[in-house]
Amino acid sequence: MTLSSKTENSSQGRPYTVVGARHGKPDALDAMAGLAKYTDDIALPRMLFARILRSPHAHARIVSIDTSAAEAMEGVHAVVVGEEMPTRYGVIPWTPDEQALATDKVRYVGDAVAAVAAISEDVAIAACKRIVVQYEVLEALTSPEAALANPQNKIHEANKHGNITKQVQLAFGDVDAQLAVADLVIEGHYQYHGSTHAALEPHCCVAHVDGRGLLTVWSATQVPHYLHRELAKVLEVPTHKIRVIQPQVGGAFGGKSEPFDLEFVAAKLAMKTGRPVKCLYTREEVFLAHRGRHPFDMHYTTGFTKDGKILAVDAKSVLDGGAYSSFGLVTTYYSGQLLGSPYTFASYRFDSTRVYTNKPACGPKRGHGSVQPRFAIEVQLDKAARALKLDPIDLRRRNFIGENTTTINEFHIGSNGFLECLELVEKASDWKARYGKLGRGRGLGVAGSTYISGTNYCIYPTDLPQSGVQICLDRSGRVRIFAGTSDIGQGSSTMLAVVAAEELGVHLDDVRVIAADSDLCPVDLGSYSSRVTLMAGNACLSAARDLASKVRQAVAKKWGCEKRDVILADRRAQRLDDPDVFIDITDAFILAEVEFGTMGSTGSYQTPREDVHGEYRGGTIGASPAYSFTAHIAEVSVDEETGDVRVENIWCAHDCGRALSPVLVEGQIEGSVYMGFGETVMEHHHVMASGLRTDGARRDTGPGKDGLLAHSSLLDYRMPTTLDTPNLYAGIVEKPDPRGPFGAKEAGEGPLHSVVPAICNAIFDAIGVRIDSLPVAPEKILAGLRAQRSGGQSC
Amino acid sequence: MLRLPPFALHQPTTVAEAIAHLAAHAPDVRVISGGTDLLPNIKLAQTRIQHLVSVKFLEELHGVTRTATHLRIGAATALQDLADDEDVRETLPALAFAASRIGSPQIRKMGTLGGNISLDTRCRYINQTELWREALGGCLKSHGTECHVVPGGQGCVASLSADTVPPLIAYGAIAEMVSDKGIRRAPVQDLFQQDGTWHVRIAREELLLAVEIPLPEPTTRVVYRKWAVRQSIDFPLVSVAVRLDGADGVLTGGSIVVSALGPRPRVLPLNAMAGRKIDEELAQALGQLVYDRARPLPNIPYDAEYRRERMVIEVRRAVRVLAGLPERPLAQQA
Amino acid sequence: MPDTASPSPVAVAPVLITLQLNGEPTSVAVPPHWTLLELLRYGLGLTGTKQGCDKGDCGTCTVRIDGEPQLACLTLALEVRDRHVETVEGLGVGGEPHPLQEAFARVGAAQCGFCTPGMLMSASAYVDNLTLQDDPVVRREDIAAALAGNLCRCTGYTKILQAVEEVAQVVLDRQREIEESTAEEP
Repeated sequence: MTLSSKTENSSQGRPYTVVGARHGKPDALDAMAGLAKYTDDIALPRMLFARILRSPHAHARIVSIDTSAAEAMEGVHAVVVGEEMPTRYGVIPWTPDEQALATDKVRYVGDAVAAVAAISEDVAIAACKRIVVQYEVLEALTSPEAALANPQNKIHEANKHGNITKQVQLAFGDVDAQLAVADLVIEGHYQYHGSTHAALEPHCCVAHVDGRGLLTVWSATQVPHYLHRELAKVLEVPTHKIRVIQPQVGGAFGGKSEPFDLEFVAAKLAMKTGRPVKCLYTREEVFLAHRGRHPFDMHYTTGFTKDGKILAVDAKSVLDGGAYSSFGLVTTYYSGQLLGSPYTFASYRFDSTRVYTNKPACGPKRGHGSVQPRFAIEVQLDKAARALKLDPIDLRRRNFIGENTTTINEFHIGSNGFLECLELVEKASDWKARYGKLGRGRGLGVAGSTYISGTNYCIYPTDLPQSGVQICLDRSGRVRIFAGTSDIGQGSSTMLAVVAAEELGVHLDDVRVIAADSDLCPVDLGSYSSRVTLMAGNACLSAARDLASKVRQAVAKKWGCEKRDVILADRRAQRLDDPDVFIDITDAFILAEVEFGTMGSTGSYQTPREDVHGEYRGGTIGASPAYSFTAHIAEVSVDEETGDVRVENIWCAHDCGRALSPVLVEGQIEGSVYMGFGETVMEHHHVMASGLRTDGARRDTGPGKDGLLAHSSLLDYRMPTTLDTPNLYAGIVEKPDPRGPFGAKEAGEGPLHSVVPAICNAIFDAIGVRIDSLPVAPEKILAGLRAQRSGGQSC
Repeated sequence: MLRLPPFALHQPTTVAEAIAHLAAHAPDVRVISGGTDLLPNIKLAQTRIQHLVSVKFLEELHGVTRTATHLRIGAATALQDLADDEDVRETLPALAFAASRIGSPQIRKMGTLGGNISLDTRCRYINQTELWREALGGCLKSHGTECHVVPGGQGCVASLSADTVPPLIAYGAIAEMVSDKGIRRAPVQDLFQQDGTWHVRIAREELLLAVEIPLPEPTTRVVYRKWAVRQSIDFPLVSVAVRLDGADGVLTGGSIVVSALGPRPRVLPLNAMAGRKIDEELAQALGQLVYDRARPLPNIPYDAEYRRERMVIEVRRAVRVLAGLPERPLAQQA
Repeated sequence: MPDTASPSPVAVAPVLITLQLNGEPTSVAVPPHWTLLELLRYGLGLTGTKQGCDKGDCGTCTVRIDGEPQLACLTLALEVRDRHVETVEGLGVGGEPHPLQEAFARVGAAQCGFCTPGMLMSASAYVDNLTLQDDPVVRREDIAAALAGNLCRCTGYTKILQAVEEVAQVVLDRQREIEESTAEEP
């Protein structure tokens, strides 16, 4: 199902030939044949294997580290400890609180302490066991309550305010006044639990220093550029002496979007030994590296008029950050800043506090920082619709913010297909005929959301472009693209090929994309914040248009016509007005090369800087060149005896501006819905309770349980299998945004958000029970039904 | 990645050879069949062993044979083969069903009946890496002195998690072991003891050859029910077999076997209930019976209170199925 | 008795075995504690088979042993002596992709591609075992059941099921054609 708009390539005045076609990925058969090289598929002559020794304590001071017994082992080539690279780093330059290997303290079970490079993994493992670390164990703070109640027990001594890593308080309009006049005030308390990315490829890194002293690092990362910068900083090697290559990546979802200990360790050990070094995480180490969804504790107060208009939103959130800052500064802003559409708020304020705890660090999982508040607000809206006896879709329509407008927190919204998204899922699910009419035990629920297509400002302050692309035309008819972009499976290389093929009139197979190699490619900031299609796509479009213009000019010269009369399409250069006049595209490229010399061009993308964000502190965080919109309807059945919730169908419609590759966009929608479904009903990155009570007294739970991950394998961390996954319907809505390449906006993260509240709202429709504390679980359903029988819940 | 430590692998082609290997290396030896439980446990250093004896090449341990009175299932018969076997499906449907719900398709192709019976006990404090268990400070099953499931407990209460065991007990299966001392037979019910560190009464010198199950009377019917969060891959969080004997809807005997509790299944004979009608009332009564007599522990990774509630529901549903009633209570039928 | 002893390592020399690997006889010396996955990836350089979870929880390392989809990470390499092992590298024939590979690529059933080799091995076993006699109808739920041991984190399985369904339909249609054409002969 697709709702789309006009389909013309405006630069050449002809219909699209590649954009919008139902193609797969041109390089897909490599993966099919097992030929695609992931990092762990790399084997270099004389390669050593590294293993990292990790802390068994959630919070402890390191008294001493004795590596002598490990170093003495046969087959061990080097041991590295934190003192050899003590520089603190962090993906956000304002919060550098991490070290490659801990020097003074360990802050969660799994914090890295030392590493060994040996002739085999077995020897490296054995050597790690011979490293003797003496710890002075400290009280572990494994909940935000405990961390806030014990500000004197600082997890990071250098932190200013106890264990608070970031607090953001912003207010827009007079919330109190609006609440005072509201006809309906809904107050809700929500708990969003932790979940993790669990990409199937474990993190892996290979490093090698060549004869000229160039350090090459191959890593399963989604941010090769940020890795490059942090490697230089921590290893104290200039960036021009480091080459970062991102091989094929087996999924990331935000879990590989900052540097990790293994990259510094492999690089340092390669420098120390002069031999290639590989480090591959175990699955448990992936869970420990984490950077997944922050657990949120949220209190929302929302005021409405009697006809369902939102007058006020007052949000208070506590974010459980884990041991390090990661992207936490941004997460804290996003927890409030991304809520300002697709609905109009007459007034809005939020107060979000992120807290350090002695647990694996949280970070950006697909839908970074905005999935949790979206859950709260969309359930609030459902409660309001019930109370006001309005259709929940209708209530959402009444609050629609519109397009080409500005949110209450001063972000500029361009195109907006939210109403079309609602319409599409409403029709596809047969909502009107079925909502509220399915009988007890079955239900439908709706929710909507928005997301950014990249951020207007880079993670570090710079006026450099956010994305650069270089394209060369070959006299064979081939197009070569060099781009720093990071294809993590979402298809960014395909996206570049589509953009270039569309403009240059070749087939997808004619384009070769060389990506994510810092020696060969111009910089792109990486695959995060759903930025790549818009930013790298625009850079690519710019370079491709420049080349297409030259090719058309050269052909026009030969034909004695105007450039605008020549179009490039379907491996031909042809007359716009006479399709029978054409030459092969290869000959056109040759004409151009004769005319202009070797054919190459670069394109850059820089974000708009004027009138797109608020003029207040934090007003740039959440500002994006374009916003995507999404609506979900979920259908559930509930077994009231067992509490089982079966999600039967999920319909999702997503406004991605323009679907450059509809097959890939559907894939992003389906994958997002799947991931949101999984974290709603079964996944839980759960850390076992602290030994400390909130009052600081010791709780008698026995030794050592502090901060242990309850589910650190793919057996215990339950991701849905084929048999658990509902029918997923992916609908594409196209509302081209002038800021996107061919109008394209993001598709990779937005479609996750509102599936979570849609499921919970459907459960209410089925049995009248609210699940305000995630994940959905049968015991919670049964508890809700018991409360209902004793007259507890109403809306 | 997690690595296996070095060990010797013996691959005998005759049972006599296998027994000799077991005798020579006991107690530092284990039988490896499908390896789907043993190898993860060795990778996690939960099991440390120097010698493995493979049954892969022992022909007589494979396959199902039917006699006039029994089905004999070789210990090395793959779980999927068991689930697909016509004789098993026809005569022991609850066993075929249990086998079909184990792990994943791949696990069922690899894993065997003998391996499932011998499955090591499971617990959230033991099925973890060495780092994790070190951080915990160990437990009774892993280099420690404390039980984290039952504070102050002196015995390991890790959970028997084998799907095939409840139906095998309900059907009255007999296990046949062989060692250098000869053949030994024992009811499957008696194979288990209340010690999670070593809960299967099969000596390290012994090789499980087969189980024999008497062909049930037409009046005997068994239903197996498993609850897990996912429809595939997961071990059972609740595991019950209900056997009801009786004709014309009147109970003459039977048993309820509840597993996924501690190291040993709970077997509740129903002889005292003889004469009752097989109906919703019986479903409720048997639900109450297991509620009173069996109690899931916070050992395997799901809320124990809910598992207790679920166990009751699964027993009720099993009875309803056997009574020819819909699974869910009638009031809930939309 | 708990396994608490930390035994000193036994002497474990590599053992020479022969297997049929993707249709070719292969002789290789392998230590007893190596899994088939380690042998394939690190011993023989067949890196198409992936490693995802260390211990049999994800299905990523699925290969076919004597035709059956099994987990290479939980198979001791020595246990495949004299058996037929097929990996994703052996799936295509004569330079042409297997129909499943073609369908996966066409419908977008692979995003990051990491689960794909294992998924293809489970799917190919399912497709190879289809017969009109057993079941003349292709059902999504049967495909889902056949793939229920292979986790995918990218796709929500939708396009994977679609790809396998298309190929399964072609396989049964072809069997039907053959049946009909042979039935027509006198």
